[in-house]
Amino acid sequence: MSGLLEEKGVFPFPEVSQDELNEINQFVGPLERFFTEEVDSRKIDQEGKIPVDTLEKLKSLGLFGIQVPEEYGGLGLSNTMYARLGEIISMDCSITVTLAAHQAIGLKGIILVGTEEQKAKYLPKLASGEHIAAFCLTEPASGSDAASIQTRAMLSEDKKYFVLNGSKVWITNGGLASIFTVFAKTQVVDSDGSIKDKITAFIVERDFGGITNGKPEEKLGIRGSNTCEVHFENTRVPVENVLGEVGGGFKVAMNILNSGRFSMGSAVSGMLKKLIELTAEYACTRKQFNRNLSEFGLIQEKFVLMAQKAYVMESMAYLTAGMLDQPGFPDCSIEAAMVKVFSSEAAWQCVSEALQILGGSGYMKDYPYERMLRDARILLIFEGTNEILRLFIALTGLQHAGRILTSRIKELKRGNVTTVLETIGRRLRDSLSRTVDLGLTSKPGVVHPSLGDSANKLEENVYYFGRTVETLLLRFGKTIVEEQLVLKRVANILINLYAMTAVLSRASRSIRTGLPNHDHEVMLANMFCVEAYYQNLFSLSQLDKYSPENLDEQVKKVSQQILEKRAYICAHPLDRTS
Amino acid sequence: MSWVQARLLAKGLSRGWGGICRTGLSEAPVAQVSLRAPRGLHCSAVTHKDDTWLIPQPSEPQKPNKVPVVHEELFGSSANGERDKKSFTHAVRSFGEHNVRKRGHVDFIYLALRKMPEFGVERDLSVYNLLLDVFPKEVFRPRNFIQRIFVHYPRQQECGLAVLDQMERHGVMPDRETEFLLIQIFGRHSYPMLKFLRMKLWLTRFKNINPYPVPRDLPQDPLDLAKLSLRHMEPDLSAKVTVYQMSLPSDSTGIDPIQPHIVGIQSPDQQAALARHNPSKPVFVEGPFPLWLRNKCVYYHILRADLPSPEEEKVEEIPEEWNLYYPMQLDLEYSRSGWDNYEFDVDKVTEGPVFAMCMAGAHDQATLVKWIQGLQETNPTLAQVPVIFRLARSTGELLTISRQEEQSPPHSPPKGQEEDEAFQAQQQQGQS
Repeated sequence: MSGLLEEKGVFPFPEVSQDELNEINQFVGPLERFFTEEVDSRKIDQEGKIPVDTLEKLKSLGLFGIQVPEEYGGLGLSNTMYARLGEIISMDCSITVTLAAHQAIGLKGIILVGTEEQKAKYLPKLASGEHIAAFCLTEPASGSDAASIQTRAMLSEDKKYFVLNGSKVWITNGGLASIFTVFAKTQVVDSDGSIKDKITAFIVERDFGGITNGKPEEKLGIRGSNTCEVHFENTRVPVENVLGEVGGGFKVAMNILNSGRFSMGSAVSGMLKKLIELTAEYACTRKQFNRNLSEFGLIQEKFVLMAQKAYVMESMAYLTAGMLDQPGFPDCSIEAAMVKVFSSEAAWQCVSEALQILGGSGYMKDYPYERMLRDARILLIFEGTNEILRLFIALTGLQHAGRILTSRIKELKRGNVTTVLETIGRRLRDSLSRTVDLGLTSKPGVVHPSLGDSANKLEENVYYFGRTVETLLLRFGKTIVEEQLVLKRVANILINLYAMTAVLSRASRSIRTGLPNHDHEVMLANMFCVEAYYQNLFSLSQLDKYSPENLDEQVKKVSQQILEKRAYICAHPLDRTS
Repeated sequence: MSWVQARLLAKGLSRGWGGICRTGLSEAPVAQVSLRAPRGLHCSAVTHKDDTWLIPQPSEPQKPNKVPVVHEELFGSSANGERDKKSFTHAVRSFGEHNVRKRGHVDFIYLALRKMPEFGVERDLSVYNLLLDVFPKEVFRPRNFIQRIFVHYPRQQECGLAVLDQMERHGVMPDRETEFLLIQIFGRHSYPMLKFLRMKLWLTRFKNINPYPVPRDLPQDPLDLAKLSLRHMEPDLSAKVTVYQMSLPSDSTGIDPIQPHIVGIQSPDQQAALARHNPSKPVFVEGPFPLWLRNKCVYYHILRADLPSPEEEKVEEIPEEWNLYYPMQLDLEYSRSGWDNYEFDVDKVTEGPVFAMCMAGAHDQATLVKWIQGLQETNPTLAQVPVIFRLARSTGELLTISRQEEQSPPHSPPKGQEEDEAFQAQQQQGQS
């Protein structure tokens, strides 16, 4: 973000050894067969629940503990493998969501911050699927706002139990689960003696008593998954069941939420690949005006869009998974968020286009497209709404950049003459010449020469983005938190840059190793980079002050007028004054 | 000197001379022309807007030796007390019956215009058309170009303009019948016709110009009027109007417990602000402030507090762990640059928070105390806050009962504190 590209992390594209690949392919085969033959997605969608025998089969395949370490009975697979399996599970979205709620957030807490006793006590049953886990954080009055959580946990007099009171809403697996990761407010004595309310995470078993469910909610999509309210009434939780430390629940929640996101990329790409197959089958057989649908340009464009988005999603997801698998617990929360935002929006767009290719029949319940469209809608909302994640991406990035640039900005503000002259000189040079060379394509470049143009575009974007970030920090400083429209553009640029990097990295590797159809990949990569480059240029121009493309002022004014009257205020087109 | 300027000069001269001649000759006190020198060429030509010129004040006491206004009896002779459209039209028609030649029609029309509000017909287009009908037709139309240069029959044209002026003032839109009448009477190239065209354009343009429109017919019931005006004042759409006290129906016999109505309004933001208010600082009940709605003046009171002084302003505590998804506060050391700082606005003067508004039938402390008590139900913290009543001395406009006017408390703070202590004692008694 400061205008430099760090190559070590992203080039070359992370690879998996042949043994691991063989191992995972052993899983993939039976799993695919199971999902194509035995899972009836239509029936699950109609009835609103997953049949018990399907769940049993999933348990027997070990899918309830993919990331649980082997000593506790799980499969112990790495993030990359998890992503790979996610591609197949995504054939049925309700099952995906149920499994994700169970392992990506439900029991992740225990794996990340649980003590040995807690792990030994709960993980084996959870991994085998005997108990299902759920993640209880959202309440009616607090979605992203952690400070307004009303559920309280009071320490009992003998300091052995916490008494939990409160209710949580929209909990996936709420009806099926027996183990809940609950977040509640507790009173904590600070280091300076003041008593504050802080959030603590608890592992709560249904056997502790006092836990009731509401009825399962009727949803638009993912109807097979069980979503309901969970009420806790004087539930006694032993002190040993506190996850992490008392008062440290906020960090636990953040870590859990940030770690589960990247798998959405591979899941969606799996769904898209299936979708391309089905739709292409239709487009190549249906004839209108004595031509196949596949010969019409508009249809071809839709297929290219789907293929491109799937390619980018895969690249980003596996790049992130590979980075996460590096030893040392790297923090890839921004990258995971970027993957989530990109893939959820691409999913909505592509499924809509696929439905469009089918025309009227896509709209009928006989075909799976409408079900997939409804299922894909939730992707933009859960695991952090896309708007919030954009703010997260932008703010975390700006924080990071701000620290690096802080010395330079302080000097500029103080009016240090040399710094000012330096900046002005750099700006002049920028405005005169456009070619930027950050070393991606020089010899020996990490990017293959056939992707050279795209790499140049990426470099240029990165450099100018760095300049713009510096200007933004100068202009707004700390108050940039409130400028959400600016942050949205910054986030969009960042997502595009990361996508370009992932795509270039993967395409270079494909060429260098000689994977099949690498020229197709090169074409997809170049196309995507060109599109992303121009989108970035537009966003960058919108970020300038007083630029004609920047409509923020007008947006603020118009929205204020609309929201003042809480209605559409224009006169009807047919109105007359006399 | 262009022909336009010549025309204006001629007009001014003719008016000035005509005025002088007229006051000299006639004794009728009706058209009391204020003697004005003919205006210079550089003033605006439109001098018709001068009220005193067109509709003379009828309020000057009649000198006993002057003849009373001609035709006045036409308007007074209708059935006693019944002043409505029928009697007005009857009076207008009877003018025509009395003199076939329509002598003194200009004065009659001026008189009728003045009488319109009494009869309540000032918004009625058909009445105006009837009034224009009083003019003899075809007589005042200019027939050759000399007549067109100079204002032909200036008195009558001004009278026509006066009718149209009154229509404009009351927001009545002229229609095709008016147009036809004007063409018949004055011709197409006359000042009334010009004004008519302007009215047609601008009245339609200005119909929706008020961003906060007040309905034409204001409710007669004071309770409804109060609710309407409170909603009119309050920008927040989530504000709630509460009726704290209804006035007793007027036909209640027996003792005279004057129970004025009390209607209050408060929005949720104001409620939250009042809950946050520091109990050691007083809040003030101020009023009554006038609010004009068309031609009605209503009075309202507000509950406000002073701005908290800068040292005492609590820095809002930002919880450290607030948002699960993104950092609400960036850990950077520099703040916004001066070029992007839009906070300071010269025109906006920060004044203290206003917590609620009310309208009451009476403007004395006793009624407002009831208001405060009613407010305490939804704002329990108000019980701990000292309330000081700063009610202005009643002016002539206030239509309150005279006995309560005398009791309205003066402005001085020591008296206010006494009352407020008395009020606090009252509250404590009420609560114990």
